[in-house]
Amino acid sequence: MIEVENVRKRYRRRWVLDGLSFRAEKGRITCLIGLNGAGKSTALKAMMGLTPYQEGSIRLEGMALDKRSYERISFVPDHLPMPSAMKLGEGLQFMADFYASWNASRARELMHFFDLNEGERVGNLSKGTAAKYNLVLGLAPDTDYVLMDEPLSGIDVFSRETVASVFSSEWLEGRGVLLTTHEIAEMEHLIDHAVLLKGGRTVRSFDCERVRDEEGKSVLDLMREVLLA
Amino acid sequence: MIRYGKLVHMEVRRFRYFLLGMMGLTLVVQVAALIWKTTGEVHRLRAGGAPVPFFGFDKLTFTWAVFNTQAMFALPILVSAAGLALYVFLIWYRDWLGRGTFAYRLLMLPTARRNLYLAKLTAILLFVFSLLAFQLLALPIEQGIFNLIVPAEMRMDSYFTDIIQANQAFSLLLPLSGAQFLYQYGLGVICILVAFTAVLLERSFRFWGIGYAVIYATACIAAFVVPLLTLGFDRDDAYLYPKEIFGILTAVIMVVAAASIGLGFRLLSRKITV
Repeated sequence: MIEVENVRKRYRRRWVLDGLSFRAEKGRITCLIGLNGAGKSTALKAMMGLTPYQEGSIRLEGMALDKRSYERISFVPDHLPMPSAMKLGEGLQFMADFYASWNASRARELMHFFDLNEGERVGNLSKGTAAKYNLVLGLAPDTDYVLMDEPLSGIDVFSRETVASVFSSEWLEGRGVLLTTHEIAEMEHLIDHAVLLKGGRTVRSFDCERVRDEEGKSVLDLMREVLLA
Repeated sequence: MIRYGKLVHMEVRRFRYFLLGMMGLTLVVQVAALIWKTTGEVHRLRAGGAPVPFFGFDKLTFTWAVFNTQAMFALPILVSAAGLALYVFLIWYRDWLGRGTFAYRLLMLPTARRNLYLAKLTAILLFVFSLLAFQLLALPIEQGIFNLIVPAEMRMDSYFTDIIQANQAFSLLLPLSGAQFLYQYGLGVICILVAFTAVLLERSFRFWGIGYAVIYATACIAAFVVPLLTLGFDRDDAYLYPKEIFGILTAVIMVVAAASIGLGFRLLSRKITV
């Protein structure tokens, strides 16, 4: 389990994370939901040690995060973090060189599934293709958790369908997924747990299935209730 | 350690075309200048022109050719030095700028972040010494070209040390004394460390970081220059012996180096932001 407890981060005289707390469990898809500027992407970056925070703690299976955590958590940012001149095949080799958790056969499967060409250069990829390759880099390692920042953002409808299909595939089976998205309508049926963020803090955290069954509300309904209140 | 080696390999690979370009530029410009100057002089002598004595000798030497092509021999060296100086900053910024922020990936590697710092430092040093080595290799090639142009009866051999001393850029970059070489390049390494720390301050604190970086770099320069000016290194009536002043300066340099490395490592592991 990844536990985020009372994390506070200050940026330009403002608390962009203001006591953020939530948990992401293995085998479940957890979604951070909030309006623009709620702190979703910052929360993921803080969890990956890509931005410092002033207070609170982030733990993986009860232990503070360190360099070894990167073998257990992979992160798919909202853009492809690879040099433009690099070929896709070179990118795969780069990952294989540095990550003990890299699973080359899964990487090949994913490249085939997304119909990606290893000879193509990163700089020549369309946004949709870059998003798919980004997923290959995030999903190929044998990590316990996968963090994704807006995996469906800015890509065409057919690419979205392909990317969305990954969430119900064996590639994510048994792994904990934490994602942020604005495309709630498309993702709602895939999400197990939702965490609503407002002003850098958790305003509601709920099990999607339970809320649907007991309150008869969708995630979107609760978003309207909580975030627009 | 293996990951550090792989990071160095990656950094070298990313710069390889620029490095080869600098080497190519050096060879082309120096050979062109050499051919132009030497053929002109050979034609002049064949046409009955009087030989111009060079250090008392009437015959042409490679040292003469290097001495008389000062600017053209030094130009590619200066361009390469300027390119490398700029790359000291770009080696960090290229990971943040552009369409894909590669810094995300680098900072998420399952290795100590100090390896990123050390790999970039190692890569810069490799580029510097590769260019120096290339220049040393280029000189015998250029000497061979000189020998092909100038008939045997018109020329005489040169000593390597004379060739180095014939060009101001060579004598600056390739000091003949080992101690001078170490001191000069040691100081260069510390300048790179200070620049790296300044970049990391800016990357960590962004707008305010620019101010911190300027203050840090100024403090480092002052720490070195102030004792140099005030202790009277060049005065006979100085209170301290030159060796003592040299010792103080060396200690200051070591402190600056240690502070830069320590602060750089800390910023990279605790404060850096993407």
